[in-house]
Amino acid sequence: MIRATLLFVALLFVSSIAVGQAPKEEDYYKLVEFPIPEYVNLEAGGLELLKSGKLAISTRRGDIFVVDKPFAVPPTDVEFTKFAGGLHEVLGLAEKDGWLYCTQRCEVTRMKDVDNDGRADLFENVSDGWEITGDYHEYAFGSSFDKDGNIWVVLCLTGSFTSEQKYRGWCLRISPDGKVIPTCSGIRSPGGIGANAVGDMFYTDNQGPWNGACSLKWLKPGSFQGHPGGNRWYEMTGGAIGARPKDPLSKSRMMVETKKIPELEPPACYFPYPKMGQSAAGIACDTTGGKFGPFKDQLFVADQAHSTVMRVALEKVKGHYQGACFPFRQGCGSGALSLLMTKDGSMFVGGTNRGWGSRGSKPYSLDRLVWTGKTPFEVHEMHAKKDGFELTFTQKVDSATAADPKSYSLSTYTYIYQADYGSPEVDATKPTITKAEVAPDGMSVRLTIDKLQEGHVHELHLDGIRSTDKQPLLHPAAYYTLNYLPE
Amino acid sequence: MPAKFLLACLVLVIAGPATLQAADAHPRVIGFERFHSGEKGDAVVGGQLLLGELNCTSCHAADKSLDSYIQKKQAPVLDSVGSRVRSNYLLKFLADPQVTKPGTTMPNVLAGLPEAERKEKAEAIVHFLATTGTIAESAALRQSVNRGDNLYHHIGCLACHDPRKEDSPKDPLPTSIPIGTPSRKFTVPGLTQFLADPLAVRPGGRMPHLNLEPQDARDIASFLLKDLDISSGLQFALYEGSWDKLPDFSKLTPKEVGEAGGFDVGVTKKTDNFALRFDGHINIPKGGNYLFLIGSDDGSRLFIDGKLVIDNDGVHPFQQKRKQMQITAGLHAVAVEYFEAGGQETLQVEYQAEGQPQQKLETLIAAPPSKKPDKPEEGAFVVSNDLAAKGKEYFTTLGCASCHNLKKDGQQLVSKLTAPAIAQLKGNGGCLAESPAKTPFYALNAKQKQSITAAIAGINGPPRKPQVGRLASEELISQNLVRFNCVACHTRGELGGVEEARNPHFKSDMPEMGDEGRLPPPLAGVGAKLRPEWMQTVFNEGAKDRPYMFTRMPKFGTANVGSLVTALDEVDKGSLKPIPRLDVVDENDKKFKAAGRRLVGGQAFGCIKCHTFADKKSTGIQALSLTTMTKRLRPEWFHHYMQNPLAFRPGTRMPNVFPDGQTTLPKILDGSVDKQDRSMWAYLSDGDKAILPVGLVTGAIELIAYDEAIMYRNFIEGAGPRAIGVGYPEKLNLAFDANNLRLAMIWQGAFIDAARHWEGRGAGFQPPLGDNVIKLTDGVSFAALENDKAPWPGATAKEQGYRFGGYSLGEKRSPTFTYSLGDIKITDYPAPYGDADVYVFRRTLSLASEKPVPNFYFRAAAAGKIEELGGGSYKIDGQWTMKIGSNQKPLVRENSGKQELLVPVVFEGKGARITQEFEW
Repeated sequence: MIRATLLFVALLFVSSIAVGQAPKEEDYYKLVEFPIPEYVNLEAGGLELLKSGKLAISTRRGDIFVVDKPFAVPPTDVEFTKFAGGLHEVLGLAEKDGWLYCTQRCEVTRMKDVDNDGRADLFENVSDGWEITGDYHEYAFGSSFDKDGNIWVVLCLTGSFTSEQKYRGWCLRISPDGKVIPTCSGIRSPGGIGANAVGDMFYTDNQGPWNGACSLKWLKPGSFQGHPGGNRWYEMTGGAIGARPKDPLSKSRMMVETKKIPELEPPACYFPYPKMGQSAAGIACDTTGGKFGPFKDQLFVADQAHSTVMRVALEKVKGHYQGACFPFRQGCGSGALSLLMTKDGSMFVGGTNRGWGSRGSKPYSLDRLVWTGKTPFEVHEMHAKKDGFELTFTQKVDSATAADPKSYSLSTYTYIYQADYGSPEVDATKPTITKAEVAPDGMSVRLTIDKLQEGHVHELHLDGIRSTDKQPLLHPAAYYTLNYLPE
Repeated sequence: MPAKFLLACLVLVIAGPATLQAADAHPRVIGFERFHSGEKGDAVVGGQLLLGELNCTSCHAADKSLDSYIQKKQAPVLDSVGSRVRSNYLLKFLADPQVTKPGTTMPNVLAGLPEAERKEKAEAIVHFLATTGTIAESAALRQSVNRGDNLYHHIGCLACHDPRKEDSPKDPLPTSIPIGTPSRKFTVPGLTQFLADPLAVRPGGRMPHLNLEPQDARDIASFLLKDLDISSGLQFALYEGSWDKLPDFSKLTPKEVGEAGGFDVGVTKKTDNFALRFDGHINIPKGGNYLFLIGSDDGSRLFIDGKLVIDNDGVHPFQQKRKQMQITAGLHAVAVEYFEAGGQETLQVEYQAEGQPQQKLETLIAAPPSKKPDKPEEGAFVVSNDLAAKGKEYFTTLGCASCHNLKKDGQQLVSKLTAPAIAQLKGNGGCLAESPAKTPFYALNAKQKQSITAAIAGINGPPRKPQVGRLASEELISQNLVRFNCVACHTRGELGGVEEARNPHFKSDMPEMGDEGRLPPPLAGVGAKLRPEWMQTVFNEGAKDRPYMFTRMPKFGTANVGSLVTALDEVDKGSLKPIPRLDVVDENDKKFKAAGRRLVGGQAFGCIKCHTFADKKSTGIQALSLTTMTKRLRPEWFHHYMQNPLAFRPGTRMPNVFPDGQTTLPKILDGSVDKQDRSMWAYLSDGDKAILPVGLVTGAIELIAYDEAIMYRNFIEGAGPRAIGVGYPEKLNLAFDANNLRLAMIWQGAFIDAARHWEGRGAGFQPPLGDNVIKLTDGVSFAALENDKAPWPGATAKEQGYRFGGYSLGEKRSPTFTYSLGDIKITDYPAPYGDADVYVFRRTLSLASEKPVPNFYFRAAAAGKIEELGGGSYKIDGQWTMKIGSNQKPLVRENSGKQELLVPVVFEGKGARITQEFEW
C-alpha cells in the first residue's frame, strides 16, 4: 500500500512537470526547414559550404545543386541552381583551389566551371582506384580534405555482405595527386565519414554481419574495422598496412577478439538498436568554438531511419577512442543522411528516404539546425573511471537529486560479434551505483559503480536528476561503450 | 544425449553390427529425443508422448479422458501400398523392421515367432499387400534431380531430416528422422505420389503436407532417388554444315548425339554453321489452352506429336514466334529443330499455361519409363493368390489391422487381435519386456521404457494423477508443439526453436533482414496475434506469406492440430488490452480510409518502402504483404504492435510507427495516434481491392535532351557498371564504358528511363529506352600489336595501363572524353553530325604522344561479317555502315572466329587523328 502511494505521488510529480514547463529540443536548437522547389530532387548525399558563401549539395540522383543564400532567415527567397548533373550517387563533396571534388560511386572526380556560366564543364578523374560490380549497395562515401590534402573514401561491401571487387570493404585515402593509400579494411556498410576536432577520421557502420548494432568507428590507419569480407585485398596493397590480420571467430565478443587480433579496432561508440537509431549516417564535429552551443569539439551523427541527429562525446582510453552517445535533436524532414557544420555555428542536415524508410516523411529535405543561445540542461560528457563514471553537465545540478544514487539507473550489455546479421543485446548486467558525489562547483558528478563491465555498453538513465532550477535533463539517457577500463 | 549413452554407442559400434542394431534401432521420436532423452525431461510427459507416437492405444484402448494426453499417430493407410512401395522392400521390412529401417516406429510383430514361421507369415502379408496396386516405374529426370536438391535443402525438409549433400555430416542428428536409401523402398512415381499428399497416406500429420506442386514433388522424389536410373528425357543430335534454312534432318548423319538438359545451344561448343535436333516427351499436367513460344537466332521449328506447330525458319537475328493451341493432359512427343549460320546463336523454347507465368518448356519434360522393372538384383515380384489370401488373414489376426487402415474391395479390414486396455496395464512386461514372446517388439531403449512405465503409472496410479481430465491449455500447446515438431522451426517462449546444427539450413533471399528474414516467426503470444480463423486456415492449407523466407509453413490438418486454435486463443488473448474506442467514426468512411491510404504511402509512414502490397513489390526489402495483414492479424494486436514492435518481436527491424506514443504526422486526422492507426487498418481491410498507396508504383522517368546534351552515369545494360550515357538533342544517344574506355552502344530515339535507379534502392542494369540499339565491340579500342596477325588483347583497360581522364563539356554540353594509355593521350569526341532530318554519329579520335608508337592499332569493329563498300565505308553484319577517316588504310582480318576492322595508327609528328561515322 505504501508502495502504491509512493508511486502515485511520483506520478503526480512527473505529470506536474510535464504540464507547461517540460523542456523541448526546439527551445534550444531550432530546425530551419528549406522549402525545395518542385524541379529539384534533393536527395542530399554530400554538403559543402563554398568559398563564395554558397552551399553545394550533391544528390543520390547524381546532381550537384548550389543554394545561393544558405543562411537566409526565413529561407524562403533562396535559389537552387544546378551546377552539375549526370554523376553517379554522389556521397561526398569538398572544395579546394577552385575545384569542387566529389566522391561518386566509381571515382573521386573534381570539376570546375571554366567558362564561368555557373555550371561545371570540366570533369577530371582524380582516382578510380577501386572497382564496382553493378550492385547498388556498393556505395562510396567521401570525406573533405585532411591536413595532408587527402580525401578519405569508405567503400561499402558488395550487397553489403561480401567483397566481390577490389577494395570493397575498405577505407582508402586519395592523395592530392590521385594516389591510392589503402588505409583500413573491415568496413561493412558505411553511412557517413568525418573527422573529429584533432583531425582523426571516423565513419559510421551499420547493423549487420560482424556489426551487432550501428556504431561510430575510428579509421585508425592500418586498423581492421571488424568485417573480414574485404580482407582478401590485403595482398593487393603491397604491404601498405601490413599483413592480412587473422580472421575473427564468429559468435564471439568484440573485446575477446581484439585480444587475439591486434589490428582489430573496436567501435568507439555503439548506437544501441533501436533505442538510439537504426541507420547511422553522416558525421559532423562542432569546431565552431561555442557558436553551436556548449558541445565544443564533440561529434554529431545523423540517423537516417529515425530522422535524428545524435551527439557523441569521446575520450581516449589506453590509446583508443571510446565514449558515450546521447539523443540530441529529432524531427528532420526526411531520413537524415549528410551533415555539415559551418563556422558560423549552423549544422546543415541533408535527408533522403528513398529505398530505406524514415520517420521524417518527406522524400528529401534540407534543414539547418541553429542554436538559440539558450543552454539546454544536458549531460555534457561522460568519462570512464576505474570504478565508475564522471559525468559533467552543461548546468549546475541540484545536489540533492544528483547525489542520490536512486536518481540513476544503470544496465550493461554487449553484442555477439558474429557473421550472422546483427545481434540482440547479450550478457546483460545490472551494476549497483554505490555512491554519487557532486563536485563543489555543481558541474559534475562522480559515480562509483559496483562494477563496470569491460566490453559492454553502459546504458545510464538519469531520470531523477534536476538542475538547480529544478529542471530535468533535456535527454536523460546516455550510452557509454566501455571497450577499455582506465587504469 | 548423455555422454554415457554416447559412450555406450561407441562401444557397441566397436563390438560389431549385431549388437549395434539392438541399441541404435530404438524408435526415433523427435520430440522424445530432443526433450526427454536426457536427464531433464518429465518422464511422465515423455511417456505420454511415446504412447501416442508408438500408437499404443490402437491396441490398448484408452479412456476418453486421456485424449488430450495421448494423441495417437495413426499408422500409414495401406489402401494402395502396392502401388507406392516395392514388394521386395516390404519383404525385408516385415521380416525385421528395425534392421531394415533403423529408427522406425513400426514394431516387429513377428519377433516372437520361430524364424521359418516368421518368414512364411511376412511373405504372405507382402503378397496380400501387393494386391492393393501395381508399382509404376519411371526414371528420375536429370533436371529434376537438381531442382529437387534445391527444394529439399531449402523449403523446410531439413527441419526434421538431415541434409543430403556430398559434404553433409555423415552422422545423422539424433533429432532427425533418418531417410536412409529411399530407392530400396520407392519408385519415382510412388514417392512422388506420397510427397504430393503425405496426409493421404499418413493422416496423423507428423509428416506434414508441404503444398508441393506436382512438379516439385517429382523433383524432390527424383533427387531422393537419384541412385536409380537417371535420364534427361531429352536427346539431341548435332549436325555440321552451312545452311540458310533448316535442312532435312532425315537425310543427314549427326556428328554427335547425346542427352540434353534442355533446349539449349550450349550442348555444343560450336558457334557457327551447325544444326541441332532435340527429341523427347513432355508431360502436360492439365489439359487446356497452352501458348508455345520459340525464339532463335537463326532459324528453328517446334513439333508436337509429329506435327509442325511453329515455323521460325530462316537466317535472322533473335526472333520469337508463338502459337496458342489446345492440348490434352499426358505425354506428348516433342521435337525442336534449329540451325545457326553465323554471328550470335540463341534458342529459347517456352510455354505458358493459362493463368501461369511463362516457363521454359524443358520443365515439362518427362522421363521415359525405366527399362528395369524393379531393383535389378532382385527380379520382379510375382503375386501368388494363395499366399495373398493367407496374408489377408494374417493381416487381421496378427494385429496389422489394429494400427493400419486398409480397405479391400470396399471393406475395411478389422483386427481380430485384442489387448488389455491401458487402464489394466502394469507398466512392465508385454511390449516392454526385454524379448517379448507374444507381443510386438519395439526395440525401445531404457529411457523410453522408463518413460512409458512412468506414464502408465501416472495414469493408473496409485495415487492416480489428480489432473487426469482435460489438459491445461498451455500444457496442451507445448505438448502439441513438441508432438508435431513445430518447435523445429518455432519458439514459444523458452520452448524449442531452430537447433544450432540446423540453423544454417534456414535461408532467405533477403539476407539484409537477418534472422527475421530466414527463421520462422516466434509463437509467443501468437494466439493474441493471429485471428483464430486465420490459424484454422494455416493449419488446413499451410501458408507462404513471407516471400523472402525459403521455408514454408506446411499443412498439418485441423484434425491433428485443431485443438491448438482454441488453446492458443484461450491462453494468449488475455495479454492484449482492447483498442481504445474512437468517438468518431464510421471506419468505412471514404475519407477515413483515404487518410489510411495516405499514411501507408511513400510520403507518410512509408510502410511500402519495406512491405509488399498485393502483387506489387516494395521499393526496399520485400517484407510481408500489407494486404494480408487484416486477414491474418487481430486488430488489437496490430494496434499495439504499431506502437512498440520490439515488445512483440525482439530484434525486429520494423520501426516504431509512433515513437514515444506520438505521431510524426500531426496534420493527419488531428494527429491522433488511435485514429491514424485505425484508419490504416480500415484502409488495409480492403485487402487486394485496396487502391494502391501513393509512391508504390511509379511511372517511367524518361530523361530527355531538349536543347543540350544530358548525361547519365549509372549501371547501363550493355555498357557496364561504370557507364556514361549521353543523350543528344538530335535524338541520338550513346553509352561510353568508362571501365574499358570504349564506345559501348549507340541508339536512336528516346534516351533512357531512370526510374529503375531513381526509385527504390536502384538495383540492376537499365537498358536504353530508344530504338535500333547497336552494341559495339567489347574490349579496349587501342592496342599495340606485335604484328597484324597477333590477337587483340583481352585484359581490362586498367590492366593494360589505360587511365580514364574525364570529360569536358563543349558546345551544347556535348562531352569530349579523355583517356590515356601510357604516354599516349587520347581525346574521344562523338557527336551527332548531319542536318535537320538525318543525323549520324561522327566520332573524332585525336591521339598525342611525345614518342612514336610502333604497330599501334585502333579496332574500329569486331563482328560476324565485315564487308568493304569502298570510300572508307564498311557494312557491319549486313546491318549498318561504318565509315573510317584515316591517313592509313584499314584492314579486315579474322581473329578468334570473328572479323575485325583494324585501323593502323601512324603519328604524323606528335599526333594522329581518326574519324568514325556510324550510320544505321
